Amino acid sequence: MSFDESFDVIVIGAGHAGCEAASAAARLGSSTALITLNLDLVGQMSCNPAIGGIAKGHLVREIDALGGIMGRVIDRTGIQFRLLNRSRGPAVQSPRAQADRMLYRSEMRRVLEATANLSLRQGKVVDLVIHQGEVVGIDLEDGRRFGAAAIVIATGTFLNGLIHTGRRTYSGGRTGEPAATELADSLKRLGFPIGRLKTGTPPRLDGRTIDWDRFEPQPGDVEPVPFSFATDQIEQQQIKCYVGYTTSSLHDVIRANLSESPLYSGKIKGIGPRYCPSIEDKVVKFSDKSRHQLFLEPEGHDTNEVYLNGFSTSLPAELQQDLIRMIPGLDEARIIRPGYAIEYDFVDPRELGPDLQTRRLRGLFHAGQINGTTGYEEAACQGLMAGINAASFVQGRSPFRLHRKEAYTGVLIEDLITQGVDEPYRIFTSRAEYRLALRYDNADERLEKYGRDLGLVGDSDWDRFNARRDRLAELRQALENTRFRRSEPKYAALQAQLQTDLGDVISLAQLAKRPGVTPDFVRRLLPVLVQAGLRASDLETSLADNLYEGYLRSQATTIERLYQHDALRIPSQLGFRALSGLSNEIVERLERVRPSTFGEARRIPGMTPGSLSTLLVHLSSQQNSV
Amino acid sequence: MSTIVALSTPPGRGAIAVIRMSGPEALFITRKLSSDLDNVKARRATLTNVQLPTTHETIDEVLVTYFNGPESVTGEDVIEISCHGSPVIVRKILDLTVSLGARFAGPGEFTLRALTNQKINLVQAEAIRDLIAAQTDAAVKQAARQVGGELSRTIASIEEKLISVIVLLESAVEFVEDDLPSAELGSIKATLSSVSDDIFNLADSYSAGRLLQSGIKVAIVGSPNVGKSSLFNRLVSRDRAIVTDFPGTTRDTLSETIDLEGIPVLLTDTAGLRETTDTIESLGIERTQQAIVDADLVLEVIDASDSSGALVNRDQNRSTIRVLNKCDLAVSKDFVTEKDLVRISALTGEGIESLRTAILAFLHRGDVDNEGLLVTNARHYDLLKSAEDELDNAIGALKDELSEELILVSLHNALKYLGQITGETTTEDILSQVFATFCIGK
Repeated sequence: MSFDESFDVIVIGAGHAGCEAASAAARLGSSTALITLNLDLVGQMSCNPAIGGIAKGHLVREIDALGGIMGRVIDRTGIQFRLLNRSRGPAVQSPRAQADRMLYRSEMRRVLEATANLSLRQGKVVDLVIHQGEVVGIDLEDGRRFGAAAIVIATGTFLNGLIHTGRRTYSGGRTGEPAATELADSLKRLGFPIGRLKTGTPPRLDGRTIDWDRFEPQPGDVEPVPFSFATDQIEQQQIKCYVGYTTSSLHDVIRANLSESPLYSGKIKGIGPRYCPSIEDKVVKFSDKSRHQLFLEPEGHDTNEVYLNGFSTSLPAELQQDLIRMIPGLDEARIIRPGYAIEYDFVDPRELGPDLQTRRLRGLFHAGQINGTTGYEEAACQGLMAGINAASFVQGRSPFRLHRKEAYTGVLIEDLITQGVDEPYRIFTSRAEYRLALRYDNADERLEKYGRDLGLVGDSDWDRFNARRDRLAELRQALENTRFRRSEPKYAALQAQLQTDLGDVISLAQLAKRPGVTPDFVRRLLPVLVQAGLRASDLETSLADNLYEGYLRSQATTIERLYQHDALRIPSQLGFRALSGLSNEIVERLERVRPSTFGEARRIPGMTPGSLSTLLVHLSSQQNSV
Repeated sequence: MSTIVALSTPPGRGAIAVIRMSGPEALFITRKLSSDLDNVKARRATLTNVQLPTTHETIDEVLVTYFNGPESVTGEDVIEISCHGSPVIVRKILDLTVSLGARFAGPGEFTLRALTNQKINLVQAEAIRDLIAAQTDAAVKQAARQVGGELSRTIASIEEKLISVIVLLESAVEFVEDDLPSAELGSIKATLSSVSDDIFNLADSYSAGRLLQSGIKVAIVGSPNVGKSSLFNRLVSRDRAIVTDFPGTTRDTLSETIDLEGIPVLLTDTAGLRETTDTIESLGIERTQQAIVDADLVLEVIDASDSSGALVNRDQNRSTIRVLNKCDLAVSKDFVTEKDLVRISALTGEGIESLRTAILAFLHRGDVDNEGLLVTNARHYDLLKSAEDELDNAIGALKDELSEELILVSLHNALKYLGQITGETTTEDILSQVFATFCIGK
């Protein structure tokens, strides 16, 4: 077979999944091509110009610790940073940043172009080239044929995308861009089970037509917390966002015009995310709410475009304009781009193994919205894992996977491949059983070693990580070894301050766990030598480890008690059909998912206790004979 | 690996019952059961009294056999305790081992350990596989069936309250940017306290309740010479009271505890109620009145052959079973058609089982204890107590104003324990509740 060009790895789509995949595969030494419909829109944010948020910020930190690029790019292009949940515990705090949309994509492209082994190509992929059950290349619309040993599909909403505004529908991957319809057909022909999902986006307004004074300003943090462990300082000039509200009369107009909405007229068949509802959905499902919150988010330093967060809609464009003007402060506002809904194809992620490779076709990997997820961060972490595993596949290295105990990335991938999706999947902290262990601030502690072993973490980052690890160990020592005894004068002062008995002797580590003891309080009690040069982020991590250790132990006890068999491995060649006592339905569920541990099997929806114990009996009997 | 314990013989009354314990702590726990067991030898049976370590009260005389691993049925250290076949004794011994560190075995767990340690081969495993599957399904269904589904309904309503709090706290954590009403700490505290109380009461219906602690009091009353003492002896199963043909033989009240399906019943024989001038007998009658006041349940005995034996000081507030005795003799026509009578003959034993059933039915009706007898399974009890502990932790964390994610650790643990009885609540279930409750999303 002859190819116009040949690579080790080809990544289709240059969104957030594709960029991570291509960068990782290339840096792992595989010659890699990143193919996109429009090279000017690499790393484009299709929806809101923001990265992070609760659990999503955790993912970005994990990507960074593993050696991915999203965190560095947003740190250089973010125009408003906020650490969310500051008033809560460290495990549920998470960074979020508004991006300058144009800066983000130009910086992403710059980073990719500076990557050795990585070639950017523009073109439309129309088919996969298959040889002896393995994918060996792709065909482009312009007639070129590229060869590769591994292919990552990261097509986002472009896969058979269909855009809706009002009663008008047209094929498209994003407004103004064509859909990838041929590739969708190709996947269908190969027998992949394909479903339909939906998402939406709000209108963008002309900032010059907004009465800003009538909105409540929302400034960013004075001291921005970056995403990347490598970033010391946020350099971008920071901006404000603004908060406003809809009105009940606006709601009435929406309700009166529901027949114009493709969501309510039955035109849209795909399932949308419940946590990202359109304004139509909000008004209908929460009819008792007299107002809904809106955010005005400037899209960048050099544009008038403003993103109207909270007002996702697929109503007709002219109606959108009328509705916008009913919002206090937007009386004169003009829409630059109307909002729309988009339906797109996804492939049942239960087709995938833990390395994100399809079981149907060796060498083919899926990442991002094609797997039924939503969100840039969710896409990026899959892209990174798919890129790593595509390179590993080509290089004959063993697959890389993360356990749900050690990373949100692991939670997300295991959920996808074992549970499948019936609405766009978004990460939440509550999806992690070990939420307290998976903090944004300890992602380096959890994952940097993997990034280093893989070859994605460079020397300077590795040195930085080791230096921090040493500092944390010293700090931990200082917290344990600083003790206050009843006989000491300092003790009485402490007791008076905290108004509670502290026992005969208390360590600073124990003291720090008490309610109302702030990090600053702890800092001032540390030995002077330790205080000097102490970094706030180190103290926070140290205190978080200290705060949660007891809880993590008690949780581990409960989980060990109730789910003690979860770690039992299921041999990959195990024939479920051969196990007597399993119903056909259960066998089908198991075969579709192919769980690799008993715990994964246990979490498959619809498994009965009886079928689980049948499986358990079998696994137990094999445990020592394997 | 934890140490598991379970009753290995069928539940209920029997001559003996065998409790089996397996795991690394089995020997350690056994040594705490009695001072005779300090040097317990492998494969030897030791006769000893099991005692409560705190009060040294003897629970039962038992035979303890130690099978050292790996030469045991599970491949681990196994202890078998053969005790007398009373549900009360069995529960006390089980509770004692659990308090010393064992945990109730899940369905099929002994067999699984045997499998894991290759004590049985795959062919044997194939044979028992279906059996275990059936047991597991049965364990989940058991809750649904228990007392007409009341247990699972009760737990479902507890879970519902618990989930409502989890939904509030999870939403506050996950959707900080959304315009959510702030969670009312006071009402969350109140809900959690009520959940904790509910679980306590439910668990209490198993063992901590008054039924098992002190039993119930049943007084046998009636006119002289209707056969109260004969009935008493019949129920106690030996000649405890002196029976004569002379009315008024029983001068004092006489009490004995009997075991009815594991529930201790304090049975009191009383002096017959009649007008009397005999000082001693009238003192006895006074005590009878007192026994009636103290009783949870009164067995009012009537002589089937004598329709004149009507009653006598009937306390309307007292739960009463009317017992028609001497049915082996000619039954007076006044009683032939009358309903609401348990017909027995204390002399021949006829109808005694019906009477036991009637007393048990009364117990299960819940008049004795408002909480009823919902929880009858030791594993369920154990799970409920664990859930209750977790709730108390959560309430403590709330009082200390700890952050939501810490409170949620305990609440999710509690929900997991309850889920082991009625079926698990998944993350999706909770997220669905969140999205149904709040308008989430920008």
